[in-house]
Amino acid sequence: MKKVIIYLLLIISGLIFSYPFLWMISATFKPEVEIGTIGLWSSNFTLRSYSAVFQKIPIGRALLNSIFVASCVTLSVILFGSIVGYALSRLRFFGRDFIFGVILFTMVIPFQITLIPMYILMVKLGWVDSYLSLIVPGMISAFGILLFRQFFRDIPQDLIDAAKIDGCTDFGILFRIIYPLSKPVIVTVGLISFMSSWNDVLWPLIVIRLQKLMTMPQMVTIFAVGGQAESQLGAQLAAATLLAIPIVLLYAFFQRYFIESMTTTGLKN
Amino acid sequence: MITWRFYFEMMQHQQRFIYLSLLVVSLLFSCKPKSSVQNQAKPKIVHLTYWCASNQNEINLAQKLVEKWNRDHPKIQVTLQPIPASQSSEEVLLAAIAGKTTPDICSNMWPGAMDDFISSGGLVQLDQFPDFYEYMRQRLPNDLLETFRAPDGHYYQIPWKTNPVMMMYNKRMFRQCGVLHPPRTYSEYLQAARLVTKDRDGDGHIDQWMGYRDIRPVWWQRFFDYYCFYIAASGGKTLLNGSEIIFDNEASVRVFRFFQELYLNGFYPKTTFQGDNFLAGNLATQFCGPWNVIHVEKFKKPDFEYDIAPIPVPDDYQGPTYTYGDHKNISIFSTTRYPQAAWEFAKYLITPQSDLKLLEICSQIPLRKNLTGDPLFQDYFCKNPMLEKFAEQALFTRGVDGSSVLKEIFDGISQEYEACAVYGKRTPEEAVKNATNRAQVIMEWNQP
Amino acid sequence: MIKKLRYRFKSSDTIGFWMVLPYVIYFFLFIGFPLVFSFILIFHRWNIVTPMQWIGLRNFYRLFHDVQFFLSLKNTLIFLLINIPLQIALALLLAVLLNQRIRLRGFFRAVFFLPVIVSGVVITILWQQLYAYETGLLNLLLMKIGITKIPWLNDPDWAMPSIAIMATWKNVGLYIVLFLVGLQGIPRYLYEAAEIDGAKPVQQFFHITLPALNNTMVLVVVLSTIGGFSLFIEPFVMTGGGPMNSTLSAMLYIYNQAFYFGHMGYAATLGFFFAFIVLLVVLIQRKVVERKD
Repeated sequence: MKKVIIYLLLIISGLIFSYPFLWMISATFKPEVEIGTIGLWSSNFTLRSYSAVFQKIPIGRALLNSIFVASCVTLSVILFGSIVGYALSRLRFFGRDFIFGVILFTMVIPFQITLIPMYILMVKLGWVDSYLSLIVPGMISAFGILLFRQFFRDIPQDLIDAAKIDGCTDFGILFRIIYPLSKPVIVTVGLISFMSSWNDVLWPLIVIRLQKLMTMPQMVTIFAVGGQAESQLGAQLAAATLLAIPIVLLYAFFQRYFIESMTTTGLKN
Repeated sequence: MITWRFYFEMMQHQQRFIYLSLLVVSLLFSCKPKSSVQNQAKPKIVHLTYWCASNQNEINLAQKLVEKWNRDHPKIQVTLQPIPASQSSEEVLLAAIAGKTTPDICSNMWPGAMDDFISSGGLVQLDQFPDFYEYMRQRLPNDLLETFRAPDGHYYQIPWKTNPVMMMYNKRMFRQCGVLHPPRTYSEYLQAARLVTKDRDGDGHIDQWMGYRDIRPVWWQRFFDYYCFYIAASGGKTLLNGSEIIFDNEASVRVFRFFQELYLNGFYPKTTFQGDNFLAGNLATQFCGPWNVIHVEKFKKPDFEYDIAPIPVPDDYQGPTYTYGDHKNISIFSTTRYPQAAWEFAKYLITPQSDLKLLEICSQIPLRKNLTGDPLFQDYFCKNPMLEKFAEQALFTRGVDGSSVLKEIFDGISQEYEACAVYGKRTPEEAVKNATNRAQVIMEWNQP
Repeated sequence: MIKKLRYRFKSSDTIGFWMVLPYVIYFFLFIGFPLVFSFILIFHRWNIVTPMQWIGLRNFYRLFHDVQFFLSLKNTLIFLLINIPLQIALALLLAVLLNQRIRLRGFFRAVFFLPVIVSGVVITILWQQLYAYETGLLNLLLMKIGITKIPWLNDPDWAMPSIAIMATWKNVGLYIVLFLVGLQGIPRYLYEAAEIDGAKPVQQFFHITLPALNNTMVLVVVLSTIGGFSLFIEPFVMTGGGPMNSTLSAMLYIYNQAFYFGHMGYAATLGFFFAFIVLLVVLIQRKVVERKD
């Protein structure tokens, strides 16, 4: 009896969380007049919503932009995060603890303070309407550094000493000895930075104005808000679906990693 | 004609990006070689650069005018260049002033942005030319000329043309509903609204209204409701007098109360419409400028009858009915090396013959005394009777105040308009009080 | 040997320095400079194009007289007051359910987590349709079961709660997982002992589960507070801040001041002040929630 109630509650809430998505996908294949119905099925299957999106906005280009930007950011966060994390955990040098303190401190600075001056900095550097403004400010993340540092600290010193005796440099140790051992943390940092870069809208809205440089979430936002969709619900939903697909695919493959990564984000704060 | 709508539409979509684009624009201009180098090589011929608005009609007009000028004045050669169209003119001009790449003369100056241009030192004082006042007074009544005077007492713009906002109404619908003449006052308008607003097909939903306004608080939407009504009700006042706020008055309260009643009684719907419901015959009135005549003429059904009337005023209002006019003026920039030549060219742009061309090519109203009485223009107005009504209204127009925080003051009014008129959550008195308080804080903050 | 050690230490010193150098440059450019510049901006009026104007404390004068800004703060607080309790209650309930011995736990967890990973833009566009007055899924359902339609986004009193409900729906998955981690850390024998003492499941929940989850609770409250304070894209897409400014969040107001009106100095001042409030609220929350222990 108790089990039945539990399953019932879970199924109802499962529907609450999944039905809207199913409804959205089915709505993109319905003709405009049938969107305002509860059911998923429509006998008048049509691709018109999608063709409207592809006609009105260069969403393919936006997808490539997003992939490019998010990949650059992710690779860079992993690279620099691991290098700095390595230095902070395995090396001793003047000012190390101070720098570590600074990194911790930067994590509590709300972005509300730095948003406006960051934009002005982009203006002054001439990076408005260029990939640089999307990539460079995200290239290093304090969070990535901290996760790497945490993980590297638990790697046995013997391994490193052995490599040093073999004449390995610190970079060699990092890339040849430590990287193969660090898959979990690399995946975690990678997924988190990819997700946050991919899903960010506020910053692209501020620094990108040229349509051909827009990221996908930004373009879909402007499409929905800016009136290009001409209040065609189907087209708006189709654009939203296209925006969701890449991340959902990624999620389907790395589901376990995703949930674990996001949990670490929470727990480490 | 299209400029206006295009300009506003652009504002709606792109305003948020204005400031982002400024840099791009200024970079663009900073790369250009200065034309003055050329001038030094041939000192005998004066070269002027003239920027006009970027819509096709105005480019055509400017081309015609410049061609004729260059033929008649071999010593002063003018080069025409439309303002780059991807941003609003104000952004482009501001960026050009910052980068000292302004043209010698420009004919697309919006009075609302004047303050920024003047305070950045970009414009030439026009009253320094000895024949300025004489020439201007031939063209304009004195009180209208005064409204273009900058807060420092000087003139930086030559009043050129305007688009007065007036009431366009569906003649047939009025006749069918028993409205015998276009409403002149608020109570006549409300009375007409009572007769007009109804459920035609009997499905329980109202499908014919007195009018419709976009209910979102977008600042420039106020040009077509609060602002033109306020100018009419106050007998030609604007929001500011120098740095003083002057819309805290009975006229404002009455306008707010008027619109509140329209929404409260359902004479104006609170939904969002797609398409032109005035043309579709669902709305009895709308408030618009002369550009809309062309639009209506182009798309109206054969049996569609319409006419133009002034903006309604409070019941006890006496005197001429003023309204909002979207002015575009001519200015000379301080980067010019030949202010006198630029002034001569500016005067040429506003001669009666040039004004006639403006009417013929662009269907925009030149700001000129006795326009409809002048035999020169009679032929044109005979062919275009609707535009004659706008032309008669043109001298009784007020523009916007040239303040750099004007947009925000309008935004504050829009917020109160929404709360008071659309949602009825505030009394008109409170709404006006709130809007003026907000404007007051903004003005104090914006003092030099 | 000693020489060798010293040599190694020294080389480590330089290589360590080189390795953190990218971060140091990054820090000065993208954190240090913006912080300092933001502080300078506070005393200026600036639209980027014309020269900066020093105006002393006038930005603060304006801030303290800015009714709309305080309204936006109030709206943000309303959002938090609805969002946080709802989110915690829902997340706790679903986490406790998932923590039972059931099949398909991974499947349900994945379903609840789906909205977390999808972009807020998608969620916002989707929910805008769900909330539509005439044709929205929610109102159609309400009509089916005989309740009158709700003007979700069209009414000043309903709009912010609607956005808060949507945000809860989007984020609850993350908190379910966090609570699950916490729940799995509670030793079984505590419940077994309680059962022997005859405690009912509800009593067990309040006397064992909740106290044991205190750390997670602090975390959830702080995370959702910080998230809630940066509320921007939802009202930006769905309502533009209306109707009657009822969904104007503080971040949206700051954005408008900077990029709609071009008041960089004033926007920076608002940002500073707002960040201060965020920190203050988070500190107070930690104190309050932790003291319950």
